Amino acid sequence: MKKFSKKDREVKLFVGPQHPGVTGNMSFEITLEGDILTSVKTHVGYLHRAFEKLMERRLFIQNFPLVCRICVPESDTNEENYARALEELSGIEVPERAKWIRTLVLELSRLQMFMRWIGGIAGTMGLSTAPQWSVGDRDYILDLFEELTGGRIYHIYILPGGVRRDLPEGFEERVLKVMDYLEKKLPDYDDLIFENAVFKKRLKGIAKIDPSWVEEIGVTGPVARACGFPFDVRKEQPYEVYDKLDFEIITENGCDLYSMAMVRRREIDLSINLIRQIIEKMPKGDVWTPLPNVLYWKIPAGETYVKSEATRGEFGYYVVTDGSDKPRRVHVRGVSTPHAYTLLERLVPGMNISDFSVAIVGLQTCPPEIER
Amino acid sequence: MSVWLIALIKIIVLFAWLMLFALYATLLERKESAVIQDRHGANRASIFGISSFGIFQPFADALKMLFKEDFIPDFADKKMFKFAPVLTFFFSSLVIIAIPFGEPIKIGDKTISLQLINPDIALILIFALSSMSIYGVILGGWSSKNKYAFLGTMRATAQIISYEVALIFSVISLIMVYSSMKLYDIVLFQKAYLWGWLPRWGIFLQPLAFIVFIIAAIAETKRAPFDLPESESEIIGFFVEYSGIRFGVYMLTDFIETIMLSLLITVLFLGGWHIPFIERTGLSANWIKAIEIIGFQIKTFLVFGFLLLVRWTFPRYRFDQLMELGWKTLVPISIFNLIVTAIVIGLL
Repeated sequence: MKKFSKKDREVKLFVGPQHPGVTGNMSFEITLEGDILTSVKTHVGYLHRAFEKLMERRLFIQNFPLVCRICVPESDTNEENYARALEELSGIEVPERAKWIRTLVLELSRLQMFMRWIGGIAGTMGLSTAPQWSVGDRDYILDLFEELTGGRIYHIYILPGGVRRDLPEGFEERVLKVMDYLEKKLPDYDDLIFENAVFKKRLKGIAKIDPSWVEEIGVTGPVARACGFPFDVRKEQPYEVYDKLDFEIITENGCDLYSMAMVRRREIDLSINLIRQIIEKMPKGDVWTPLPNVLYWKIPAGETYVKSEATRGEFGYYVVTDGSDKPRRVHVRGVSTPHAYTLLERLVPGMNISDFSVAIVGLQTCPPEIER
Repeated sequence: MSVWLIALIKIIVLFAWLMLFALYATLLERKESAVIQDRHGANRASIFGISSFGIFQPFADALKMLFKEDFIPDFADKKMFKFAPVLTFFFSSLVIIAIPFGEPIKIGDKTISLQLINPDIALILIFALSSMSIYGVILGGWSSKNKYAFLGTMRATAQIISYEVALIFSVISLIMVYSSMKLYDIVLFQKAYLWGWLPRWGIFLQPLAFIVFIIAAIAETKRAPFDLPESESEIIGFFVEYSGIRFGVYMLTDFIETIMLSLLITVLFLGGWHIPFIERTGLSANWIKAIEIIGFQIKTFLVFGFLLLVRWTFPRYRFDQLMELGWKTLVPISIFNLIVTAIVIGLL
């Protein structure tokens, strides 16, 4: 009788790019032994749009519609980073009120991203009620964006020198109304998801991260904070007006998916709190420093690296200019590259196949930012 | 009227009842989930502009399924692939033959029992038939020759075999209490009162068995939070290669299994068609019979609605957790319940 070796028992499966449990646009080649994953290999290239190369051939201002597509659901971080890099290089001053408005937009964007994530993590676990609720509630924030910027997803609102236009009349009250609504609705989410016994059972102890990996791979954001690392760019290197806001860095000590989920849950409260603070403290004034004619706008030679705290972690832009009207090089540090690529490949051995898609969503993978 | 004609009419009525219930179960599930999820639910299917809350939706769905491309992959075992949905559908809908729907009614000088057959081993027959339906799942997943489908099949087999143990252990303690396996006799047993006020229903006599039964029943029907064989975000399911009406049959079978289990729960635990204290109201016997038949339907409907409700409030278990729940929690509880029941019956 033939003896079966370990190799014979292994099954190779391709998960994605067409798979309901994967965020899409990337493929995972997984090796299974029974229900247990032994290894994973991430295949990217399904969404390669060559943004970084395209940006070298366009005027500075023409790049704004490109950068907001680097991570589709959270476009404002990209716009803000790129605009801030250009301001640093060209020395344009941003009016005080514009900075506050930018922070408001960033926090609203963070909030809608968290709402979307709630739907994602619950959806991969077969609880389809939560996506319906959270996508519906996220729409109220998108309505605010539509009123403010004209677009629901791609805003192109933050430009070098400030923001495109001032807040509409009564906008602050409408933001506060949505925040009141969300605060009223969040206990329902707690009952349905975060306090749910099965949810806790599913996530506790899954995808356990070794704290030494955090510095080795460059893990940031809620994933690092779930490991007890109090690192938040908003606090460490405050940009825009985060130094004038009063908040604490949220950390948990579980290192697992449940801690990550709880960090995000508490950051939803933090974002709502920050938005209230911003609206309370926002000064009056100009929102826009007029630029020179943008078609002939040249930026002196130089290089800079700006970074900010996106929903998923630290997001950075490295911009090099050579004195012409186009950037010499733009490099984007996407958070998902270390998370969904390096970290996931390390986390997977020994994981159950059921937890695989939960882990992908739990790390908040955003495939477009892996391939810029 | 010969016996055969009566039996034929009963078969037709039962099958029509089952199909209608199953079709509208899909609508009920969609509407129920819509209420939970702040949506309207299906309401567009209309005939001559009358949509009336989507009551035509099940027929529109069925038509759509019929006219969709019936795709069979090249690498599949074609005969088994075609045979599998029929097998699982056949066995799971066959369970209905032993279910009593009410007291026997009199038409002319003939007494017609509202039950197709009343065998002595009704409960064994029912569980044997419902276990047979797993062969359809095994064949369907296996003959697709798809790795995802194969994983789903393995999960379904392991899950159903393990939960059947808990299910049957909880039923054994019921059989000891009722001292009969005939479903008609079981309902008759429940038509009495403890201490003159508490209906002698299974749920009051065997509360632990009821809890075990209802959890195991949800797992048996492969519905969330135990929908691992078809967990669409992990392995998509054992019917991943199925399309068109063959997929529709699998989906309908899920609902039929749920209907069967809600019928069984009604008969075994909720007193069948018994409505407490109705005989003390002084209504005529015929009226009571009619009300009881309707009451049976309403009970089944409510149990069914509850089984659907669970799906929208729980995330899915992981497979090892599912096995743990089955073997380490439900089976010991049901065995404990069995022993306690045996001791109490022995003492009384």
